[in-house]
Amino acid sequence: MADIQNADVIIVGTGTVGCTIAELALDAGLSVLMLEAGPRVERWQIVENFRNLPPALKANWDAPYPPKPWAPHLETYTDESAAEYLQLEGPDALAYRQGYVRYAGGATWHWAGICWRLTPDDMRLKSLYGVGRDWVFGYDTLEPYYTRAEYTLGVSGPSDPALQWPPIRSKPYPMERLPFGPGEQRFTEAAARVGLQNLPAAQARNSGVSYHDRPPCCGNNNCFPVCPIGAKYDAATTLTKIEAKGGTIRANAVVYRVETGAKNTIQAVHYFDPDKQSHRVTGRIFVIACNGIETPKLLLLSRDEKNPNGVANSSDQVGRNMMDQPKISTQVVMAEPLWTGVGPVQSSSIMNTSQGDFRGVHAGAMIRMENAARSRVGGLAALQKGLVGKALDREIRRLAACTGTFTIEHELLPMAHNRLTLSSKKDWLGLNKPNIYYDVGDYVRRSATSYSVPLLKKLMVELGVTESQIATQFAHSDHIMGGCIMGRDPGDSVVDADCRAHDHDNLFLPGGGAMTTGGSGNSTLTMVALAIKAADAIVGQLGKAARA
Amino acid sequence: MPERSVDHPFRDDCPSEYRLFRRRLILGTGAATALAALPGAVVAVVDGAGGSEAGKFMELSALLIDHRLDRDIGARLAAAMSHANAGIEQDIDALLDIAKKKNARIVEDFFPDVPEGRLRDTALAIISAWYSGVVSETQGSEVFAFELALMYQPTRDVMTIPSYAISGPNGWNPSAPPLSDMPEF
Repeated sequence: MADIQNADVIIVGTGTVGCTIAELALDAGLSVLMLEAGPRVERWQIVENFRNLPPALKANWDAPYPPKPWAPHLETYTDESAAEYLQLEGPDALAYRQGYVRYAGGATWHWAGICWRLTPDDMRLKSLYGVGRDWVFGYDTLEPYYTRAEYTLGVSGPSDPALQWPPIRSKPYPMERLPFGPGEQRFTEAAARVGLQNLPAAQARNSGVSYHDRPPCCGNNNCFPVCPIGAKYDAATTLTKIEAKGGTIRANAVVYRVETGAKNTIQAVHYFDPDKQSHRVTGRIFVIACNGIETPKLLLLSRDEKNPNGVANSSDQVGRNMMDQPKISTQVVMAEPLWTGVGPVQSSSIMNTSQGDFRGVHAGAMIRMENAARSRVGGLAALQKGLVGKALDREIRRLAACTGTFTIEHELLPMAHNRLTLSSKKDWLGLNKPNIYYDVGDYVRRSATSYSVPLLKKLMVELGVTESQIATQFAHSDHIMGGCIMGRDPGDSVVDADCRAHDHDNLFLPGGGAMTTGGSGNSTLTMVALAIKAADAIVGQLGKAARA
Repeated sequence: MPERSVDHPFRDDCPSEYRLFRRRLILGTGAATALAALPGAVVAVVDGAGGSEAGKFMELSALLIDHRLDRDIGARLAAAMSHANAGIEQDIDALLDIAKKKNARIVEDFFPDVPEGRLRDTALAIISAWYSGVVSETQGSEVFAFELALMYQPTRDVMTIPSYAISGPNGWNPSAPPLSDMPEF
């Protein structure tokens, strides 16, 4: 043991959840120490990494983020490299190749910034449709935290309730919606002609003004894999604020064990540094917020005499109910230009297709047009044809303008057999790699067959699509949820309504892992809302202890 | 403090090393490194080291591609392609001969006369390098041009070159010019 560190609140993970809690705890006068497995780098370094990638690799979200040996994450260069860290099995194994980076700032470095809320119905699947689970609380309880999350991240969205999702809000968005480019406008108009409403997305991107010391979005069209100017919220933009408030952030500190003590409270966490030296950190409250895969992995790694299934796992639910939104991607060619690549890489979605009484039978789904510039795709495709001169230029312009990618993301039910366990394979530090069994289930498959794909086909006809390639396999959406599922009953859930572990009074597991259901939209805003609710509980718990 | 490791000098955390790596690759000698700071000097260095090969590469490139070509990028592409393709100098001479025989000014004037096989492949490889900005797509390959790579230019009136903004705060809208309006570049 090289050194001993201590703080009121120990936070494992420096993503959006950990950073949100850190700021609120510091604001309440608590001391905070954050432990991050990966390195801490500057934004421009990631931008340079991206710009210096060969064109074919620019589509690999992870390529600008080379992992450190001690903090591996998915690397998608080849099937072999992708199979190196995440061990996947089951009928839809490849659909759980989840993208997240183990860097200070976490996976919001490369998120698209979309901030959909769950709807009231999304939180009552069991009561309304007899499937999945109900949340412990309803939308009314979550709504104030959603609002605080939107003001924390800086979310722009439409002031017109007819364009809001859901239009049940206590305050306006902090910023007005961003404008559409030509592709989104055309997609919206075509959707309307077939009875679908494409909404301007609520998004954590500054719209027209600066917000939280970040500049307005200038349409750099690179939110994914990195916003070059920090107009999009990512947790890395809060790291210096946390330090300015007195918090400590320790990078390259891989927590590998959560230690329990008397009354089964958490005593300490242990981490390895890059020299494989172990360190012990003590505190009063512990927050494990290191991603929906790494958090359950760490809990399972921490089994001890009192907790033979792993920490927080008397229910045997840690690592179960792994969720995402199984995605179907479609590549299309159109007779007329769509023109993507104007504004952010994503800025709108069809959401009302996620709701309906059909949810007793099959999943709802969200449908979206990807707005990333297609000049690279068109350029490489035209070059492969061996064209030269004006014919080459015309073909690049046509293939960039008149092609597109449409995406369907399905709601997945929490199912116990979709499970993360510890692989017998070890990483560089000798820690077990995560192993995940994944089956999207018939609920999702029925949706794709009888509902979501037919809807998209109707829309494609309206858009004048002349050729299409609809994926036959589901893919990942990188929205990792469910592995520390929230519930009232400690016998079938891991955390309570404040993301506090049922088994350990001073252990909080907020984030995607705690989500009871995931809906069809991006999970981040719900994760941050849960983080704020957990932070209130942490501050209240330590305040109560001080008063006692 | 943010970490500045040198584990991957050509990939992530060490930009000064990274730039040095690239310059050495281009120029071949440490003594020439200082010249890399001078735009336009690179061609002269390559010419001085290996005759007029870079000049011929630029001459052929201008015949294959009827657009403005950056001399610095050309010098770097010439060096990289010469390094990767033994015998490319003879191909360049042969392609220049074909173009001269046709009194060609643009690629359409002589490309039909380029025989299938090695010569045509070399011509297409040179075009591809200018358009894609690379001579190889494999992981770790050097990128010679991104924002100036020609494949981004036929749509530059509408599409953003990712990470490089072309408007300002909320400065975009749904309008787009006709497909037939090819930008000048």
